[in-house]
Amino acid sequence: MSADGSPGMSAAADDSPDDPVEAYLDAVLTCSPGSPRQVRRTLAEVEAHLTDSAQALHDAGLSAAAARTEAVRRMGPPTGAVDRPWPAGGLRLPAPVRRRLLLAVLQLGGIAGLFLGLAGAFGAAIRAIWGTTAIATPFPSGSYSQADCRRWLAAYPASHDCTAAMTADHAADFLRNAAVAGLLGIVALAVRQLLKRRRRTVLAGALEPLVGAGLAALCAVGFAGAGFDAVTVTRGQGAGQPLALALAAGCAAVLLAGTARRSAGQPFWRRRPLAG
Amino acid sequence: MKGDLIRGHLDSLLLAALAIGPTHGYEVIGRMKHASGGELELAEGSVYPALHRLEQDGLLSSTAELTHGRRRRVYALTEAGQRALADRRVEWRRFSSMVSHMLMEAPA
Repeated sequence: MSADGSPGMSAAADDSPDDPVEAYLDAVLTCSPGSPRQVRRTLAEVEAHLTDSAQALHDAGLSAAAARTEAVRRMGPPTGAVDRPWPAGGLRLPAPVRRRLLLAVLQLGGIAGLFLGLAGAFGAAIRAIWGTTAIATPFPSGSYSQADCRRWLAAYPASHDCTAAMTADHAADFLRNAAVAGLLGIVALAVRQLLKRRRRTVLAGALEPLVGAGLAALCAVGFAGAGFDAVTVTRGQGAGQPLALALAAGCAAVLLAGTARRSAGQPFWRRRPLAG
Repeated sequence: MKGDLIRGHLDSLLLAALAIGPTHGYEVIGRMKHASGGELELAEGSVYPALHRLEQDGLLSSTAELTHGRRRRVYALTEAGQRALADRRVEWRRFSSMVSHMLMEAPA
C-alpha cells in the first residue's frame, strides 16, 4: 500500500496471459453459478482481495510476481470461492423475504378469519331478525334421509317439522364455522404479532394491505351477487349467508384499502437500526 | 489449525470477526488470522461464499463502499446476526467443554 493509502504499483494488476491473478479470476468467472449480478459481485470481491493480499505480501518482502502467486495460492481453488448454486428443484428465498411471506400469510389469513367471524355476527343478527331460513335454504323434502331427520329433530326439538330442524341445523353450522374462523383469525394475528416483536422487524409498504383489499373487494362483490341472486330467485331464503359474508368482506376491503393508502410510499422492508 | 477443523465453524468465526465492526472480506480474514495468533489455515476464497450465505440468511448486511480508491463490499452484523453469535457462543462453550472432558478424561 502506498503512503496515500491507494494501492501501490509494484504488485498491481498485470494483464499478461501468465499472470496468476488474472488466470484465477478467469477460473472464478468460468465456474461461477448464479445471476450475472452475483457473478460480478463475487469477481469484484475476489479481485479486491487478491490485490490487497498481493500488495501486503509484496510489502512484506516478496517480489511482485511471487506475491501475486502466493496470494492466489492462499485463496484456494477457484471453485471454493464461488457461491454454491441453489439446490436443484428447490427455490430458497432469502431469509428476509421468507419472513415477510410468513408474516404476510399470517396477516392476510388472520384478517380473513377475523372478518369471517364478523360475517358470523352479521349472520346471527340476520337469523335473529328474519329467522333461520334467511341463513340456510330449506332443502325440498325427499332430499334427506329419515335418519338425518331424526338427528335434526333431536338437536332442535322446538322445530315443528324436519325441514325447520334441518334449516336451523344448517344455519347453526354456518354461524359455528364463522365463529371458529374468527377465533383462528385472532390466533393467526396474535402469532404474527409475536413473531414481529421477536424478530424486531418493522413491516412497511402497502403490498399486503393492497393485495388483501383487492381480494376482500372481489369476495364482497361475489358474495353480494350470490346474495342478490338468492333474494330474487329464492325470495331471500338462504340469502343471509352470502350477504353477511359480502358485508364483512366489504368492511375488510375498506379497512385494508385505508391501511394501504397510509402505507403507500414506504419501503418494502426495513429493519430497526442497531442500538448503539 | 487445519481447514477441516475450521470448516464447520467458519460461519461462527465470521460472525465473531464482524462483531468488532463492519468491514470487507479481506479485513475479516485478517481479523480471524490475528485472533488465532497465526494458527488459522484457511482457503481465503472460501470466506466469500460463506459471507454471501450469511447475508442471504439475514445474519449480515452488506453495502458497496469506496475505500482507498477501490469499490469494496463491506459487511456488518444485523441484529439477527448478533443474536445468532450469542447463541453460538453458548453452544460452543457447551460443546468444547464436553469434547475436552471426553478427550482429557479418557485413559492415555
